[in-house]
Amino acid sequence: MTAAMASVFALPPADAVPGAAAVRARVRDFLAAHPPPADPARRVNCWAVADEAFSRALGQAGLIGMVWPCAYGGHARPAMERYIVLEELLAAGAPVAAHWIADRQTGPLLLRYGSEAQRRRWLPGMAAGEIYACIGLSEPGAGSDLAAVRSRAERVPGGWRINGQKLWTSGAHRSHVMLALLRSEAGSERQAGLSQFLIPMDTPGITVRPVIDLSGAHDFNEVFFDDCLVADDALVGGEGEGWRQVTAELALERSGPERYLSSHALLATLIDARLADPAVTALIGSLVAELWTLRQLSWATAAKLAGGDDPVVEAAMVKDLGNDFEQRLPQAVQAVVSADLDGGDDLGRCLAQLLLVSPSFSLRGGTREVMRGMIARGLGLR
Amino acid sequence: MSEMRPQLVATAAALFAGAPDWPALAASGLPLLLVPEASGGFGGDWGDAAAVLREAGRAALAAPLGETMVASKLVAGARASVQQGQGTLAVATGWLTATQSVQRFNGSARGVAWGAAADWLVAGHHGRALLISTYAATAGANPAGEPRDSLVLDAAPTLVLGRADVLELGAFVRVAQIAGGLEAALALAVDHVNSRVQFGKPLARQQAIQQQLAVLAGEVAAAGMASAAAARALDASRDARFEIAAAKLRANLAVARGVGIAHQVHGAIGFTMDYPLQRLTRRLIGWRSEFGGDAFWAARLGQRALALGGAGLWAEMARQGDR
Repeated sequence: MTAAMASVFALPPADAVPGAAAVRARVRDFLAAHPPPADPARRVNCWAVADEAFSRALGQAGLIGMVWPCAYGGHARPAMERYIVLEELLAAGAPVAAHWIADRQTGPLLLRYGSEAQRRRWLPGMAAGEIYACIGLSEPGAGSDLAAVRSRAERVPGGWRINGQKLWTSGAHRSHVMLALLRSEAGSERQAGLSQFLIPMDTPGITVRPVIDLSGAHDFNEVFFDDCLVADDALVGGEGEGWRQVTAELALERSGPERYLSSHALLATLIDARLADPAVTALIGSLVAELWTLRQLSWATAAKLAGGDDPVVEAAMVKDLGNDFEQRLPQAVQAVVSADLDGGDDLGRCLAQLLLVSPSFSLRGGTREVMRGMIARGLGLR
Repeated sequence: MSEMRPQLVATAAALFAGAPDWPALAASGLPLLLVPEASGGFGGDWGDAAAVLREAGRAALAAPLGETMVASKLVAGARASVQQGQGTLAVATGWLTATQSVQRFNGSARGVAWGAAADWLVAGHHGRALLISTYAATAGANPAGEPRDSLVLDAAPTLVLGRADVLELGAFVRVAQIAGGLEAALALAVDHVNSRVQFGKPLARQQAIQQQLAVLAGEVAAAGMASAAAARALDASRDARFEIAAAKLRANLAVARGVGIAHQVHGAIGFTMDYPLQRLTRRLIGWRSEFGGDAFWAARLGQRALALGGAGLWAEMARQGDR
């Protein structure tokens, strides 16, 4: 075995987290007081289901921004406690979309690269579940090939002028701020000359238009920037450092429980349907075996991240395996169960919803092919 | 023992690379890895066993090492004297009869690894482990050509060792071997595609090949984690039925998905007797069916999930991990 290969997934199973049971009990108590939707079709893919009242209540309960310093409205808790909160919320099907990006991505990025003023302005509201963020990466000509970004920021006296267009921006219509990757050096190409900017969504010159997805839901948007003026301190981190910052940001968030639990409500609904069919029992068994293993892989990766390491290849594996599982789950149920997709019962409604939305699971956050390319790099093949 | 694990694994790997015979394995002490030091063993834990058996799988070791490890532990746990010689594990059907002086077992067992060659065996029977030394064997083999013998137990003198699920512990052994075997198959595949040139460049430069091997690597990761996590559950001294069932089923799935990829990227070269891939894949194919195939564990785990209910399933998995 080559040295490169030995490190492909060398993580041990994570040890139990001290106090885990108490953290779980706290989340379950919260969920008892703020129950997820009764309809299982609204509990699937729940990190794409927004409920601002739920997010505010979660923030008031101290369950957003958990690892952030108290000075910024956070709670200075260990990273693995936050992981427990996330998996409990997702397993229950809680509507966490409104605050998800701010908690997972934007807040940590500001803590890593942001200025003191940026942190003080944005983090307390994010931790309170009141300020929501979106991520401005994809553009009409820049999907998987993110380095093809063309939207630009030009220096003007006192700030920057922004022009261009972002596409597939989840939650832009309810977000207060966008963290955008823009070309800040005129004439630059590819990974060079890119910077990250924090743009308030009420900045004049921004137009948000909905892109309705095939299930009829409004999650995606296209966002136009027409001579938007932002202050100097909209720049996050270093000028020209955008590519390095954004790739680090993405690598840190590939292995979370949202990468394998998006279809969990269907598995729970199938179990509770008690169909008394040996083929269904066997299917449940094999799905549970995969679920259990994915949870171990995701935990092990989270523990490694919590220790300050950067397990890029392991995280890509969790995402690839997890997305494959959560995408295959509804297909497997449809193959074995005679369910009506007409909306008449819980199982069929839940299944129909997932069959429609699950193609997105291996697209969002980096496609399956991109993940596998990263794993192949870890194997020394490219 | 865990602090010694890296050294233990390195020693085992060096030994296995030389395709040792049973006397050499016995001399290494590895068959007694799980036996407490007070009973003359190594005093290793399940994590150590999984790590060593993963090396055995990686080396395609042709010996009932895991079977003897587990059987020796069960013997030692019953405070019976540790058996010398080659042991094995079996799952028996039949019945136990007790006379005033001795218990005897009448029945049979199939697919017993090195059953004819073994000096003694521990048989699982209705949740108990039985130590038996006298039986008749008919030779059989798994797809790798390893002995998988049919045994007839005819009023065989039997020592009841106590409660244990031999099938589960055998499955634990196979999961570790599968993890190692798949890992070695991936290593062969990576080496092959890096050196084999077609269309003017190494196969490794083809995206189609890269994507396939990424999938195989994911299966290696899943099987490896299943093995390590099942060992962790056993070492926590608790009921590990759920974890072992999930681990064997997931490892079986990894065989199903992984073996085909390893062969595909090798082309015809990997389909020959000369090339070492077959030493791994023929064993992997066999191990998937041994100590419970997919259908067996899927039914058992599915029934457990139904008993727990949708919310209870999650709560149970969380509870296990928090201990």
